[in-house]
Amino acid sequence: MNRSWIMRGAPGRWMLALGFFTVASVVLIIPLIVGVLWSLVDPDAGWFPPAIVPPSLSLANWRAMLAVPEIGQAFAMSFLIAPIVTALCAALALPTGYALGRRQLRARRTIELLVLAPIILPGIVLATGLGSMFIRLGLSHTVAGVVLVQTVVLLPFMIRIVAATFEGVPQDLIDAARNLGASPWPLARDVLIPLVRPGLFAGGLFTFIGSLEEFVLTFIVGMPYVQTLPVLLWAYLGGRSSIFTYAAVVTMVLLVPTIILMFVAERTLKQEYLAAGFGKV
Amino acid sequence: MAQAAAAIPQVTRAPARRRHESLVDVLLLAPGLGYLLVFMCVPLVQVVLRSFGLLAIGEPSQFTFGLYREVLANKIDRDSIVFSLYFALGTTVISLILSLMTSALLQVRFPGRFIISVLYKIPLVVPSLVAAFLVLTIIDQGGIIARALQPYGLGWPELVHDRYGLGIILVLVWHNVPIMTVILSAVMSGIPHDITNAARNLGASPWQVFRNVTVPLSLPGISAASLLVFIGVFGAFSIPSLLGAAYPTAIAVVMSREVLDRANWGLASALGTIVTALSAVLLYVYYRLIRRQEAALR
Repeated sequence: MNRSWIMRGAPGRWMLALGFFTVASVVLIIPLIVGVLWSLVDPDAGWFPPAIVPPSLSLANWRAMLAVPEIGQAFAMSFLIAPIVTALCAALALPTGYALGRRQLRARRTIELLVLAPIILPGIVLATGLGSMFIRLGLSHTVAGVVLVQTVVLLPFMIRIVAATFEGVPQDLIDAARNLGASPWPLARDVLIPLVRPGLFAGGLFTFIGSLEEFVLTFIVGMPYVQTLPVLLWAYLGGRSSIFTYAAVVTMVLLVPTIILMFVAERTLKQEYLAAGFGKV
Repeated sequence: MAQAAAAIPQVTRAPARRRHESLVDVLLLAPGLGYLLVFMCVPLVQVVLRSFGLLAIGEPSQFTFGLYREVLANKIDRDSIVFSLYFALGTTVISLILSLMTSALLQVRFPGRFIISVLYKIPLVVPSLVAAFLVLTIIDQGGIIARALQPYGLGWPELVHDRYGLGIILVLVWHNVPIMTVILSAVMSGIPHDITNAARNLGASPWQVFRNVTVPLSLPGISAASLLVFIGVFGAFSIPSLLGAAYPTAIAVVMSREVLDRANWGLASALGTIVTALSAVLLYVYYRLIRRQEAALR
């Protein structure tokens, strides 16, 4: 019954709850509210110290998303690249994930290390290598180049999630399908892929949002012609010139999908898919 | 059904069949691993070779340690390595202390625990640039804290673009505490309650239980989480590039400048090799530690 060992009384628990919620509101909620307020600042009135709240609010910055070409273009670019990267990752990860999840491999440790490497390696190192390689291949500053570099860092997550899902498919179902005469391709199409759809969905969501957020590689390889939302956010936050109000708008655009991902992940997806994606190094 | 499954021949495999099986393995692994070989291993090898003067772009190739000598001779490069080590270590230590506390307290049942366990994971999915913006609006000179203190005549220290990288560490801690907490909570929830209860019944105070039972039993998680955070932060680019001072700068920022402003791929490669080598050494140490722990448990 009593699982706790730190505090045993009811008042202690309420105190703990109070402490947790105070810290959460200072560290998480207030920054989010201030971020939203910055996106609503009236450009005519501004928001200067010592005002705690902006003197007047307007949607002008949000309208700028349509009016300022570079924001609209970055938005379109991000949402053009993300589905391509997701599809490419899914196509590459399905067979490899199957092999890792279900087959007895000889060099399993080495393969797993290879798949883990892009997650651990600092992005800037990969960017340095890929940047010079892509200049030679003529892929620098192109959408294709950015798609390829984003796939390098996002594919490992997809492979790990898909492999974890394949591992969970009961062998009975595969044997049954084989005994009923299914050859490899119909087996994959009608039995395996439907069975791993939840994992594929989780991995796809993860990859899609990962692509929307990827910054370092896109920045080094894509600059200055391919500008995605994070590259623009970097520019607005002081990388080029400080425009806090636009930065707030881009921030909100980037935040909404990630928070949706969180709630979807928390509610419907099994935790082990995400654990497979994130770590357990 | 069960008989049918058992009937599938898996016991005896002729060599031809084994060869067929390994061919299938290779074909299945080819798309994913092939991609990583071409687009990760090849560039990585190029970086290492280029750091020794081979495969040079725009100048004659020859094996040399010159680039490393250049890195060691140049104060900017040297300081960037020290500075990166400094904020990576600072972030790891502070995050570890905070997430040890958080995950130990999260083991207690309290009202609203579910909401907190969802809320604390928000920074996990927040892109680091967004994290930089959110924390910036709070701690900057024009941020909310500075504004709230101003009427009382209180000053707020310069935390962004400061010499000691406090702003960088603050944002990185904000971003990494949830990652560590996820790992540590998973490990701590695996500790049997019998053990902690036994310690409590034998008269240990909560702090003693935490120090002498919970922390030692969470060591695998602690080492994994610390290494993960340290390596990730050591090569971090976006947050140090936005919140860092003009001097000293992070190693990733120096690399990006060499690449983007000067097209000096050789020097960037030498710095990149140093970063990679350090990460590899740390990972190797980590695997050795894990092995030893597993062996000790057996």
